[in-house]
Amino acid sequence: MQTTDINHHISRRFNKDLEELRSQVLAMGGLVETQLERAIDAVVSGDSELGHKVAHDDFKVNRMEVAIDEECSRILAIRGPAAGDLRLIFAVIKTITDLERIGDEAEKIGFLATKLAAMDRPPGSYRELKNLGQHVRTMVRDAMNAFARLDVDAAAAVIREDERVDEEYELVQRQCITFMMEDPRTIKRVMNVTWTARSLERIGDHAKNIAEYVVYMVLGKDVRHTEDSIAAIAESTPRTTPKDS
Amino acid sequence: MTPTWLFALGRLGAMLLLGAMVGLYFEHLFAGLFVAAMISLWFHLFHLIRLERELGLPRAKTVTVPDGTGVWARTLARIDHAHQRLRKSKKAYRSLLKEVRNSTNAMPDGVVSLNNAFEILRYNRAARRNLGLKAKRDRGQRIDNLVRHPEFIAYLNARDSAQTLVLPSPVLEGSFLSMRMVPYGGDDWMLLVRDITEQTQLARMRRDFVANASHELRTPLTVIAGYLDAMAEEPELPEAWLRPVGEMRSQAGRMLAIITDLLKLSRLESDSLLADEQCIDFAEIVRQAADSAPSSLLHPEVELRIETPKAIRGNQSVLESVVSNLFQNALRYTPSEGKVTLLWRSSEDGGAEFSVVDTGEGIAEADIPRLTERFFRADRGRSRHAGGIGLGLAIVKHALNRHDAELHIESRLGQGSTFSCLFPSSRLCDVGDEIDVQSPVETAKSP
Repeated sequence: MQTTDINHHISRRFNKDLEELRSQVLAMGGLVETQLERAIDAVVSGDSELGHKVAHDDFKVNRMEVAIDEECSRILAIRGPAAGDLRLIFAVIKTITDLERIGDEAEKIGFLATKLAAMDRPPGSYRELKNLGQHVRTMVRDAMNAFARLDVDAAAAVIREDERVDEEYELVQRQCITFMMEDPRTIKRVMNVTWTARSLERIGDHAKNIAEYVVYMVLGKDVRHTEDSIAAIAESTPRTTPKDS
Repeated sequence: MTPTWLFALGRLGAMLLLGAMVGLYFEHLFAGLFVAAMISLWFHLFHLIRLERELGLPRAKTVTVPDGTGVWARTLARIDHAHQRLRKSKKAYRSLLKEVRNSTNAMPDGVVSLNNAFEILRYNRAARRNLGLKAKRDRGQRIDNLVRHPEFIAYLNARDSAQTLVLPSPVLEGSFLSMRMVPYGGDDWMLLVRDITEQTQLARMRRDFVANASHELRTPLTVIAGYLDAMAEEPELPEAWLRPVGEMRSQAGRMLAIITDLLKLSRLESDSLLADEQCIDFAEIVRQAADSAPSSLLHPEVELRIETPKAIRGNQSVLESVVSNLFQNALRYTPSEGKVTLLWRSSEDGGAEFSVVDTGEGIAEADIPRLTERFFRADRGRSRHAGGIGLGLAIVKHALNRHDAELHIESRLGQGSTFSCLFPSSRLCDVGDEIDVQSPVETAKSP
């Protein structure tokens, strides 16, 4: 397998364990992506049943997090991995924390959707939330794809994308403030919209974190809280993964 | 001895003879022979090394086999011939491969071949577009690492090639994919991906239209039926109007029944996420249906045979409508001296089976496949007289689909029919059990 650098172990069981672990993380990512998609759908279409279901299903995400966590500590205890494998385990442990948080935010959005569904719908039917949600969903998906492909360039793109999500969130917030000033009767509803936008923005941050762990996993460089461009870091670091073409 | 041997030996002999003669002339016979042997040996070594160097050239596009004389001329000619042939067939294979690749890329449906661990081996262009795979880069990656939808993962692990999965595309917003995996070549799997966005949208539009239209029709019709009811019970109604009003009233009732059935059908078709599923005592439903049958001399005899206490995981009202539709049909088409049997029993494959057996008119074999179409009637003239609407079996089919069950129809004209609902063992449950809220993988039977 060219895409992974974890297939070089003499112990085939170890290889299998690591492959399996990666797949579990990605399966959890898939579940979280679905939850997020449904949550946004629930808000946009005013479907309180769907919102309810999303909020209820969060336990599945939590269950997966616990299972993967256990698997990680088992591998750490039994195999004592080093170098790239150790980085993989660390990245997995951190990634699932962020995924679980994304799940929690999706749960929150689902809950807010049930509240919003019970109120009057504005003429734009939450188009701004739909756009923001779309944007954030793409980020989460790309982050998970980068994780699957160990693709530093894609991860860097996700990290850059977070700034745009922040700007968009800023815009939605301004819009909400305008609505509230124009007509105080809408405050209760618009507050819920603000909370939803806030949750979406947080999900963008978590997706960015995951992308940073991908960079760490592949290059062994910690790019959190740094101003350097990832491209420069990637350029100056010898890749542990052969970048096939 | 082959001519080659003779030729080679002759050449060696001539060489040695020459050496011997020269040796004798200088009175050193053995030195002469030795020199002649060495020259022969050198001749062969020279050709051998030259050939070795030519063949050993790394990735030479064309191997030019050197010329030679004697036995070497023949050997080299043969090697050269073999090389030419190899090059030709290689070229033919390459163009064939290219053609195959081009044609798979031209296919509108995506194809991904997977090994037994679901690692991607090859895929065509449509698969790249529909699933968001990257050219070449994703080979060897597990497919469930890239297509991460929980339902897709469940579908893969089920390894059931009879099922088709409908999924929103992981890359294209708002489009739907129909996927099916087929085993091939021993351990490998082929994943077929088809973009069914258009069909999905059309189906949804039709469903929405039927649902909306029936809903809009029901309100005015209820008003009409209400007034007709009042008029029919009016004692001062002129004699001449009694029959027309009665007829209008029964027809209005029929229209309401059609609309109710249409609404029920459209509700069954729309895949609502929260199908309210419980563990249902099926025998009880059958018993109630049998009890509700009118017992008079005008109606056929009803026999109830409950042979298993098995319960079914499903929706109460939907299952009730299955039983009552099949039962009403049987009553309708069975003459009063006939017999209708309701049967609830275990089936051979571990599931359960509900059958309605009648001794009625029967159905022509050619009509059986079309029975579950909406508004289909086996015999137009007679059936309308019997008062059916033509939606009953369509409802039954959809309702059973929702419960992973199948409808089997056996019939002979003049002898009666048997309608059987086969529930798989995965749908069985014990009454009172807690049911996991998690819905099973949403799959549809392939068209």
